[in-house]
Amino acid sequence: MFVLASINFPPIGELLNWKTIFFGGSALAFNKIGLITLAAAVITIVLFVLAGRGAKLIPTGLQNVIEYGVDFVTNLIVLEAMGPEGMAWVPWLVGMFFFILFSNLFEVIPFIQMPATARTSVTIPLALISYVTFVVVGIKRQGFGKYLKTSLVPKGVPVALLPLLIPLEFLSTFIVRPFALAIRLFGNMLAGHLLLVTFAILSEALFVKSILLVALPLPFAMLVLVTGYEIFVSALQAFIFTTLTAVYIGEAMAGDH
Amino acid sequence: MHLYIFGANQAFNPILPATGEIIWSVISFVVLLVLLAKYAFPPVKKIMAERTAKIRGDIEAAEKARLEAERVLAEYRNQLEEARKEANRLVEEARKTAGLVREDLLKRAHEEAADIKRRADEALAIEKERVMNELRGSLGDLAVELASRIISFEIERQNVDPLVEQFLHEMGARSK
Repeated sequence: MFVLASINFPPIGELLNWKTIFFGGSALAFNKIGLITLAAAVITIVLFVLAGRGAKLIPTGLQNVIEYGVDFVTNLIVLEAMGPEGMAWVPWLVGMFFFILFSNLFEVIPFIQMPATARTSVTIPLALISYVTFVVVGIKRQGFGKYLKTSLVPKGVPVALLPLLIPLEFLSTFIVRPFALAIRLFGNMLAGHLLLVTFAILSEALFVKSILLVALPLPFAMLVLVTGYEIFVSALQAFIFTTLTAVYIGEAMAGDH
Repeated sequence: MHLYIFGANQAFNPILPATGEIIWSVISFVVLLVLLAKYAFPPVKKIMAERTAKIRGDIEAAEKARLEAERVLAEYRNQLEEARKEANRLVEEARKTAGLVREDLLKRAHEEAADIKRRADEALAIEKERVMNELRGSLGDLAVELASRIISFEIERQNVDPLVEQFLHEMGARSK
């Protein structure tokens, strides 16, 4: 208890509420989160430009990595969730995947150690963009009335059940979907971030307390383990968010429920 | 010393978004999508499509080359088989021709030999006849001469001739 009591967990504001770097006081306040999202965008663009500029028929190095990423999104996300019709969405979804992936990966990058996606400021706009996209695609492809009908009225259901199902379907498609998208990414990344912070603080506190403590290696081992796990989670969450977006857009395009 | 539970006594709410962060993340994301779709993605996609096309082309070309090679091989095998048959036919024909030539030569040689023999026989017979005639003439003369001398000079030549003739005839018949 004495050891634990001496550990001073920082308040959550210190972990998530970053100081403004530029444009302080205005709505455009630019802080660490803005920096990370900007960096994620710039890194993605730079990687693609570099890979595309020296592109060879037999790929090497970076070109291989980027092409693998594109292949991954094309085969495992677009073709799986949307079919060949979704090929036009590949650049869009590749951008989304890499943007989220890099925003997540800053969680384990030394000295930055903050996933931009642990802020709802990032995940809510992403989820809204995804939401608006699939709704617009659905209305454009099928027309407003038909899109509403295919989204709200499940096929092969007795008419008597419709008064119950239509509100449920409305809730699930138009309310829960964007909310779940945003919260899933945010929750996962925030939890990972807090886990890493916890084990880092614990390791540091034990180290300061006494270098000879038997329990010393345990939090540090956990820290290493969780860091590896968070790299996996970063990729997984980027994959899940992009896949769900693809599924929603694919559904809006196809019109069958 | 305080034991803080995360943010429990803080005014900061970790769930609420901040305006500045929203604006910058949206700007970053939208700019990324636009730049990626317009400039950065097409070259990567192009090279991937080119590779796909090249691999497809190579596979098709290889398949074509394989079929062509198979066709040529079959053709060569056919030609070889035909050449072998032709060679066999030629050898057989040559053998047949040689047999015929041999038989022909042999036949002609036999005929020629027989002819030569026949002509020799004829020549021999004629010669023999001629010698016999000659012999007959001189023998008659000699015999008459001899007889005239031995027996007498009185015997008339006219009376003796038939006898001599008869004698010679008998001699000729015996010698044949």
